[in-house]
Amino acid sequence: MDAYRAAPAAHGERAVRFTGSWREYLPIAATNALLIVCTLGVYRFWASARQRRYLWSRTEFIDDSLEWTGTGKEMFLGFLIVIAVLAPFFLFIQLLFPALVARGKIDAAGGIMFLFYIALIYLGGFARFRALRYRLSRTWWHGIRGGSDDPGWNYGGEYLGRIALSAMSLFIVYPWAATRLWNSRWKAMSFGPLQFRANLTAEGLKLRWALVYFVPIAAMALGALVLFSILGLSDRQLGSGPMAGLGIIFVALILLFYVAIPLMTLNWYAKYYREAAAATSLGELEFGFDATTMQWLGLFLGNLALAVVTLGFGLTYWGYRNWAFMVRHLHVYGMIDVSDLTQSTTHAPREAEGFADAFDIGAI
Amino acid sequence: MARLYDGVTAHPHNVQASARAGALELSQDDGWSDSIDAALLKRLDGGKRELRLGRTDRPGWRLVLPADAAAELQPLLGREERYGRWIDRVGLVPALIAGAAITASVLAIGYLAPHWLAPHVPMSWERNVGRAIVGDFGDLRCRDPKGQRALEALVDRVAPGSRGGPNGIKVAALDVSVFNAAALPGGYIVVFKPAITETDPEALAGVLAHEVAHVRRRHVTEALIRELGIGALIRLFAGNVGANAEQIVSLRYTRENEAQADSDAIAMLKRAHISPAPTAELFKRLSTETPQFSAEFLQSHPLTSKRARKFTAAVDPHARYEPALGRADADALFDICTKT
Repeated sequence: MDAYRAAPAAHGERAVRFTGSWREYLPIAATNALLIVCTLGVYRFWASARQRRYLWSRTEFIDDSLEWTGTGKEMFLGFLIVIAVLAPFFLFIQLLFPALVARGKIDAAGGIMFLFYIALIYLGGFARFRALRYRLSRTWWHGIRGGSDDPGWNYGGEYLGRIALSAMSLFIVYPWAATRLWNSRWKAMSFGPLQFRANLTAEGLKLRWALVYFVPIAAMALGALVLFSILGLSDRQLGSGPMAGLGIIFVALILLFYVAIPLMTLNWYAKYYREAAAATSLGELEFGFDATTMQWLGLFLGNLALAVVTLGFGLTYWGYRNWAFMVRHLHVYGMIDVSDLTQSTTHAPREAEGFADAFDIGAI
Repeated sequence: MARLYDGVTAHPHNVQASARAGALELSQDDGWSDSIDAALLKRLDGGKRELRLGRTDRPGWRLVLPADAAAELQPLLGREERYGRWIDRVGLVPALIAGAAITASVLAIGYLAPHWLAPHVPMSWERNVGRAIVGDFGDLRCRDPKGQRALEALVDRVAPGSRGGPNGIKVAALDVSVFNAAALPGGYIVVFKPAITETDPEALAGVLAHEVAHVRRRHVTEALIRELGIGALIRLFAGNVGANAEQIVSLRYTRENEAQADSDAIAMLKRAHISPAPTAELFKRLSTETPQFSAEFLQSHPLTSKRARKFTAAVDPHARYEPALGRADADALFDICTKT
């Protein structure tokens, strides 16, 4: 009675389901957009709280929906705190940097800027950790919430170190950095009394990462080959006729290069998230994620098309679509004993996700 | 029948719920019962199918009822929070109108305040800011004494007496290969090398007069206030070491300020008996030449061809114009960045 089977459930239903509809969400999207515009953007914190309240409440796990208890006020305060911390720092650099440049001390200016970016990367990692911790602490199911007792300062350092190492390798070893960071991040998180576990490795991800490097180069090489063969042809048979076509091919080559890189990155991330979910568990619950590269591409192109067709209003649906996408592709397997799932004893952070908000990064 | 989570474990309890005398009564078949003061209850978003209640004093306590139970419990419950507490209180439409009014006035003040404040900023403050930012320009500055004297003589021609006193204008040539000239906080005017070597002294006089006008009218202060107020955070992220010598001259003026500085410059040229035609020629050239040559100058001084017409129209066919500098001074100025 107390043990809940997650999936495949008795009726062949999935354990995690999204039950929202775009029509039901429309009044929220429309009033959020209006209020954000009319308040110079200040309302966006309350707007995102309303959006999450809706999305969480329309996400069912086994027999009950999730619940979001974060508030716009705490997110606004979190943002103010971050501004209060960062603004003097920014202002100082803002004045110091041109002063050094004006005095011809380019090296010193470069050094200051270097330290500045180091600090930014550290804070970026810290922010990501805090955002995840905040979101778990505001997510409830069956009256139980998640959280973490780790403040995330060490994670920021680990993030900086791993990103620096992979930067030194021209990001060739990035999969190792990304997977270990995923593990560190999730191992620090818990839901109720249960600690998340994560043992993601770069093993299955190396090939896709290599493709990020090789496909754009291969595409360029292939294009160049085509270009030269046409050039060769034009010399012998076609005269000067296809010269205009040549320009088009050249532009197409450049485009190919710039399309191939994001496409291959997406190809890598699709696999990364599938493997990451499979490598993560909570108690006896195992996770799975099944979105393919094409489905991700469909999501992003759909988002773009929606925004264009609706002259920008569709932007208000991006959060909805992204969440629905994640939930629809997420699987949970295994058993959970609700009598053992006691209340979380983690410290509930007060400052919301101000840092992540300031750096504009997601939690997962 | 309702589902109760106690917030201690995830185990759901089946309970009966009813409203009685300002309180929510809960009971179970085994005899357990509880009564909760309505003031402690809060309504949570449970979708269309369910009514979901929480307690303000117990995190995690949740009572999930079928939606049709809402009618009976309605008297106990306050209104559901929708847009946020303040907006719920006044209503969406009044909140939108008030928000729009506040936004409009904030934008208006943000736009106008620098203009109102600038004349009241003590010159000594601005001097300190200027000194802190530019210092002595280090190795960038062209230090040939004869050239410097010629440059100062040119400023004296178009704006006699402007260099005197603690708040006087300080002019410097910088060895930077971008066509530009700019007024900086604290009365500094800088001229980049191509603005000297690729023009004649008369056109440079027009450019200098324009920058002197910016200083005198406190446009620099105005731009600085605008910059610090709005642009500080944004611009920081766009920083790029090396190519950033121009960052020090990146203050932006409004269109109105530019037009005013042009009018002042024309008046100054007239008083100095210098023809505005070479300045007009310069603007014409800048508006047609390759972008990488003129991009910088065009960016902070929009509508160059229109400005060229303005200077052309100011040419008086009956006036007797004189050269801006004597032969020797003009040569010294030309060489200001080549001699060390």
